[in-house]
Amino acid sequence: MTGILNIGTRALLANQAALQTAGNNIANVNTPGYSRQEVLLQNIKGQFSGSGYYGAGVDIITVQRVHNEFLTRQATLASAVAASDTTRFEQLRQLEDVFKGGPNGLGAAVSDLFNAFSDVVSSPTDQTARAVVLARAEETTSRFQASAAQLQDLKQGVDLQLRDSVAAINSLAQRIADANDEIARAKGVGHDPNDLLDHRDQLLRDLNKYVQTSLIEADDGSMGVFLANSQPLVLGRIVSPVSLVQSDFTDPATTKLAMQRGGTTVPLDEAILGGGSVAGLLRYKNTDLVDAGNLLGRMALAIGTKANEQQALGLDLNGAVGTAMFTLPSMPAGYSASTNTGTATVTANVSTLPVSGATSLVASNYELRFNAGGAIDVVRLSDGQLTSIPGPGPTTLIQIDGLDLNIAGAGAAGDRFLITPFAGAADSITTAFASPSALAMASPVAASIGAANTGTLVMEKLAARSNPPPAAVTITFTGPGTFTRSDTGATVYAYTPGQPIEYDLVPPATTGWSLTLKGTPQINDTVTIGPNPYPRLNGGNAEAMMALRDLPMFDGAPLTDGYASLMSQVGIRVQGAEFASEVSTSIANNIEKDRSAVAGVNLDEEAAKLLQFQQSYQAAAKMMQVAQNMFDTLMQGLGH
Amino acid sequence: MRLGTANTYDTTLNNLMKRQVELSSQQEKLSSGKKINRASDDPTGAAQAERSLTRNTRIETEERALVLQRNAITLAESTLGDTTALMQSLRELVVKANNGAMNSANRVSLAEEMRSLRDQLFASANRADTNGIPLFGGLGSASTPFVDPSTGVVFNGIPGQRSSTEVSLPGAMDGQAIFMNVATGNGTFNVGLGAANTGTMWASPGEVVSPAALTGDNYTVTFTVSATVPPVTTYDVVDTTTALPVPPAARPYVDGQAISFDGLSFVAHGVPKNGDTVQITPSTQTNVFEVVDRAIAAIDGAIGDNIMTHATNRALVEFDAGMDRIQSARGQAGDWLNRGDRISDSQNSRSIQLQSDRSKAEDIDMVQGISDFQKFQTGYQAALQSYASVQRLSLFNFIN
Repeated sequence: MTGILNIGTRALLANQAALQTAGNNIANVNTPGYSRQEVLLQNIKGQFSGSGYYGAGVDIITVQRVHNEFLTRQATLASAVAASDTTRFEQLRQLEDVFKGGPNGLGAAVSDLFNAFSDVVSSPTDQTARAVVLARAEETTSRFQASAAQLQDLKQGVDLQLRDSVAAINSLAQRIADANDEIARAKGVGHDPNDLLDHRDQLLRDLNKYVQTSLIEADDGSMGVFLANSQPLVLGRIVSPVSLVQSDFTDPATTKLAMQRGGTTVPLDEAILGGGSVAGLLRYKNTDLVDAGNLLGRMALAIGTKANEQQALGLDLNGAVGTAMFTLPSMPAGYSASTNTGTATVTANVSTLPVSGATSLVASNYELRFNAGGAIDVVRLSDGQLTSIPGPGPTTLIQIDGLDLNIAGAGAAGDRFLITPFAGAADSITTAFASPSALAMASPVAASIGAANTGTLVMEKLAARSNPPPAAVTITFTGPGTFTRSDTGATVYAYTPGQPIEYDLVPPATTGWSLTLKGTPQINDTVTIGPNPYPRLNGGNAEAMMALRDLPMFDGAPLTDGYASLMSQVGIRVQGAEFASEVSTSIANNIEKDRSAVAGVNLDEEAAKLLQFQQSYQAAAKMMQVAQNMFDTLMQGLGH
Repeated sequence: MRLGTANTYDTTLNNLMKRQVELSSQQEKLSSGKKINRASDDPTGAAQAERSLTRNTRIETEERALVLQRNAITLAESTLGDTTALMQSLRELVVKANNGAMNSANRVSLAEEMRSLRDQLFASANRADTNGIPLFGGLGSASTPFVDPSTGVVFNGIPGQRSSTEVSLPGAMDGQAIFMNVATGNGTFNVGLGAANTGTMWASPGEVVSPAALTGDNYTVTFTVSATVPPVTTYDVVDTTTALPVPPAARPYVDGQAISFDGLSFVAHGVPKNGDTVQITPSTQTNVFEVVDRAIAAIDGAIGDNIMTHATNRALVEFDAGMDRIQSARGQAGDWLNRGDRISDSQNSRSIQLQSDRSKAEDIDMVQGISDFQKFQTGYQAALQSYASVQRLSLFNFIN
């Protein structure tokens, strides 16, 4: 009788526990990180009697959480990657908004500026046409500045997000350490602290949204959390907080994540940070924003430099040599690495000799390294191209991609410098003067075609290459394909119809002028090229300004197409980030689905379990009633 | 396989969001009419659209400049028409002055009329376009390319002609070639009367009969009238450059007959006195204004003698040469105007092409766009409906 009562009581308890667990599952159906729990039951060892073993009922072993460690970690990892990609994509979309196309974009402003010279060509003395040019120049610089300011805003936004993220990482790390502590203590009881474990898993998942971690579980149940594969963020109860530091070049444009351990700061390599929004933000700030800034800065610098050079080749309305049209900032000095021991300093500027470097600039930063024996390596950071200058030095000037890198002092082997030629160029480009008369629209040279010529020579183009031009030179044709020059006596030069005649006899032609004729010369036909006697009504330099539109300037693309390629380069980057974000988000969603298929609560299942255990409970209760009836029956029988 | 209830809600919600985003982005495309709203939608297409836009604004700029250039050339062409008419009038006046019925006083007033026409001619040469750029400034000039000091008209400009390009016309014509480049005499040699002549002989401007035999030397033809009765007039030709006589000596002179030697020929009229000469010199360059000035000087108050006849005859030849140059410049201007039309046409069709390129690159194909929109709409609707109906199912609904 007591056996039945005992069995009934145990059954009641067991079913009650199962119902409670199902209830808890239902209650936590929407709790993030909750793993469903189930009661593990087992039958109690039977009691031996002569007629065999009688079962003694049911017992509760424990309440366990149903989860798959592997899937949980996979889901966490995938969500870290997705967070990185999505964060970068969202940021890049904002970056893309800076580079709008169409008639209101920067590209249209640049093209309008150069088109405005057309009216000056038509009417060189018209102050209105000149004022329009100046207004367009002003507009162009303000669009450059506006775009640069937007980039600056984006950078500040990223910095704020990074700072918040780092605070969140440190706070989460502390909470994980606390959870580790509690779990280690709870483990001693012999049962798993399910809810604490869920809690820690959820904290880890939250942490991975910021930065990807790798995990190693210790014997006491505490979880070791590592960043960048090997740097311990949490070990048991000990937290090594992270912080933001500048790169070892201490340039203001880049940031690194670093870990504080025992008084030392260990910078973490961004490339092996893996996923997490911080990794995405760092990649965006250190790569995407820097590249976009370089593209914009190069455009401002190249256009400004070229326009200034052309302006210097003209004469203004007062007959004076043109002064610079745009004020351009000088390039920042090279940032020296914190490990440098030498005394070298590096500065950069756009090359002017032997030819202007404005057309061969590449939108990139450069790293300059001093090697043993006075050799120097220059690495173009955008594509890693290495230029080696053999020793022994001292090398004081390196010309690369249209830049002059000037080295002063002595660099020790191993010293490194970061050169950021285009940082700040778009931020501070301004127009240099406001007087329309100061625009040097007249060409300093003029060609006069002999009045007694019998051939059909007409002038197609005359471009000044230096200002003031050299003394007058008369070209006398000695046949359809040959001519002599008044400054070189009887020497005969070959003339190819349609090809320019250069003042400089040896290429590269950098001084004097370049003359293109059309038509066929007859013997003794002359052309005299000399200083322009009538600069006032001349728009020759304005024409030269317009011709800059077709100058191959941005990686071979013409000046006016520079913005289109800038825009599409940013667009391609955004598109790539969008694909990456879509793919990694969908992977993360799928793994999360798999994880929740194991660990998540299914309400139908719980409903079924409620019914199941409710019935079992009722049955157990009935069993108690039966035992009671049996007892009553027995008592009644005894009473007679 | 089991499903986590909360996750199914999340997943469905995610899908609904995605569909909603698709639908709204398609709606944005439909309403803006563009399939590229940001560069990342199609980076190549966006770059192409941007380049087309740049090219198109450039064509607009070139067209605007071309209009001005055409205006200038049109003005130059009509100015050249005016000058031709002026030259024609001047020529008529010269012919009129040559008329024997005219007396000295008539010729004074003729000269007066000619001076007025000459001033108009000079003003035409200095005409400027709407922007004040001289029409006949050549490769560059002062704002008044022709000045008229007492020593004769000077061209204050750079001789030479700009060529037209694929997209532009020259904005000015070569004033030097048009007005300042007239050969004296018949273009090869001048026939002049000796300053000390006393007879009534005058000579025609002459012509080249055999270009191969020309020497380019100076000659003097000296007439000798014998003292016999009747007097016999003969002439001798001396090459004064080589100081050699040109045989045969003592050729007989007949009024109105050609005098020919060394590939050139001219006709002498009238009666020379003994020792009268005719000077042959190579032609030099002069200008239209000087030709007119010389004709005026010859006519002004002239009594109609052999000197005036000689001068007016020579002036007529030089007038024709000057008019030829003006006419050919006018033809050139006409050519450029035609060329301007052609440039305009081709620029227009390029512009249309570029606009269509741009449109192809970034505008949405409406049929495709609407059909896509409907697809997305249906998808979204289906997602909503299935969400509503599936999520309503729960075992709890059946437990009571």
